[in-house]
Amino acid sequence: MANVELKNVSKSYGSVQVIDNLSLKVEDGAFTALLGPSGCGKSTLLRMIAGLEEISKGQCFINGTEVTQTPPSLRGTAMVFQSYALYPHLTVRQNIAFSLSLAHAPRKVQDEQVGRVSKMLQLDQLLDRRPAQLSGGQRQRVAIGRALVRDPKVFLFDEPLSNLDAALRSQMRVELAKLHQDVKTTMIYVTHDQIEAMTLADKIVVLDKGIISQQGTPLELYNRPANKFVASFIGSPAMNFIKADVASKNGDGYTLALPGGRTATISSRGGTASGNSVEIGVRPEHLALGAPGVAGSSFDGTVSIVEQLGNTTLLYVDTAGGTLIVEGEGNLRVAVGDKVGLTIDSAQSHLFGADGKVI
Amino acid sequence: MTAAVETTMAAGVPRRAGFVDLGAVLLTILTIIVACIWFFPVFWALSTSLKTDQEAIADGINILPSNPTFNNYLYVIQHSDLPIWYLNSTITSVGITFLVVFMSACAGYAISQLRFPGRMALWWTILASFMIPGTALIVNHFIIIAGVKLLNTHLGVILPLLVAPVTVIVYKQFFDGIPRDFREAAVMDGANEFQLLFRVYLPMNWGITTALAIITFIGAWNNFLWPFLAIQNEKMMTVTVGITQVQDTFGVAYARVIAGAVMAGLPVAIAYLLFQRRVTQAITLSAGIKG
Repeated sequence: MANVELKNVSKSYGSVQVIDNLSLKVEDGAFTALLGPSGCGKSTLLRMIAGLEEISKGQCFINGTEVTQTPPSLRGTAMVFQSYALYPHLTVRQNIAFSLSLAHAPRKVQDEQVGRVSKMLQLDQLLDRRPAQLSGGQRQRVAIGRALVRDPKVFLFDEPLSNLDAALRSQMRVELAKLHQDVKTTMIYVTHDQIEAMTLADKIVVLDKGIISQQGTPLELYNRPANKFVASFIGSPAMNFIKADVASKNGDGYTLALPGGRTATISSRGGTASGNSVEIGVRPEHLALGAPGVAGSSFDGTVSIVEQLGNTTLLYVDTAGGTLIVEGEGNLRVAVGDKVGLTIDSAQSHLFGADGKVI
Repeated sequence: MTAAVETTMAAGVPRRAGFVDLGAVLLTILTIIVACIWFFPVFWALSTSLKTDQEAIADGINILPSNPTFNNYLYVIQHSDLPIWYLNSTITSVGITFLVVFMSACAGYAISQLRFPGRMALWWTILASFMIPGTALIVNHFIIIAGVKLLNTHLGVILPLLVAPVTVIVYKQFFDGIPRDFREAAVMDGANEFQLLFRVYLPMNWGITTALAIITFIGAWNNFLWPFLAIQNEKMMTVTVGITQVQDTFGVAYARVIAGAVMAGLPVAIAYLLFQRRVTQAITLSAGIKG
């Protein structure tokens, strides 16, 4: 086990800056997810930790030792690739033992290690098969086994589940979580899937255009997003954003003039709106559904789409503030075209300034 | 039944019994004619090698020998250095094949996967070497090989034939097509460049190496011009050069000469029959490059 620290690292390809003066600490034994949209630099960051990408500026430390110039194989890290990268000409056994074989480990040691890992990952029955004869999930387990056999200080996962179907992805998530509990090794996991990040990680680092947008526990990010980018990226369905004008400041919060003429009072987190215009961020489950025209409600609107998901119902409601997504109970009886009233849960809402930062 | 369903069913109905595809028939006939034209010299050589000398030079066209005999083959085996020529051909061809494949794999890998100053200049040099026909270099080769006193040696035959840009290009293209993840996974596992090449890249598709080895071997075995110039000592001759000595020894004994030629070509023919699929693959791989 080891901690990982990046100090002011930058990565550029010619004039294109991919990572910009980024600093990050990953605690010993933690499961940290690097989350962000395509092109945000999360895979590049992982590859910089692995040593597969040169660090243009800054330093990388693993367990307190600087490894910025250390070759990948000597960093004590192991990586699971998105494509699995299993050698097609080798059997499962040979794939798992490949690093040991390169290091000229005695045959007995190789067999012992392969036995240990294959048992842990339930691959014992598949050892003589080639990757082409395996299912996606089995290949994924072999890729993990190949990393596991090296007994690394840090596991690096580069979108390892993105090639699997939804059911298998869910199953593999559980297996990865169990694996982390068993081996307790530091794991850094790159994903663009916020559900994977939320369910697996102790800490999520949200990246946007090469910089850390916010880092924290999954619930911190969900409940207290630092900016509009994080607020919109975390949560499914996505947070609703409603433009509003500041009417007055009341103690900790603001009274806002909503589109459509009504008002709402939203608490701030201590920030000050720089201008007259702000955005309210409210998650679909924090919009209460009611009858139209009721005093105290925030909007009246018309239901345009109803999505019955069984355990929950998603309504798309056209209002003066735009189309808002509302999450209701599974057995909600609402039809397209129904007139409804929506009330913002002020305590659970967020205010974002013109620069996108939370107020 | 709707019209759409009827149409779908009609599309699936087997072709009417007795219907003849004229285009396919003509194509088949044309293919057979071309195959016959191609095979005729081979057949003629085999047929002549089984004739007596008198019959071989007799007037008229004798398609088949009237009294087939293996005397020409026996004569060549008993009265020439054919076994030694075979050995020489084997040594030089195997040597050329091994070295060409090994060096081309290394060069293709280096140009494809490594980043070093002059990489592109090297690549363009290899590509440009197509512009110079091998025969244009033969005088230079002769002077150099004579200068280092390698005439009449196996090494003297082998060295100038190691220039094989096609194999380098085929390997480079193959290595270019391998996803980078394999390389990175192996690097993470601690592989050095040689291990990457010989334990990951090449084994991923031995078919390419096999195909290139076979086609290189066939080319080396059949090579005539350079061994003919480089070797004067009869005991060092390759089989393709050696059979010209059969002609010298026996005058214009066509049946014997052709028996020698058949025996010279036999290993290549066997290699082709055994590895037909690989040879075709190699020709396909290099065809796009030769244009």
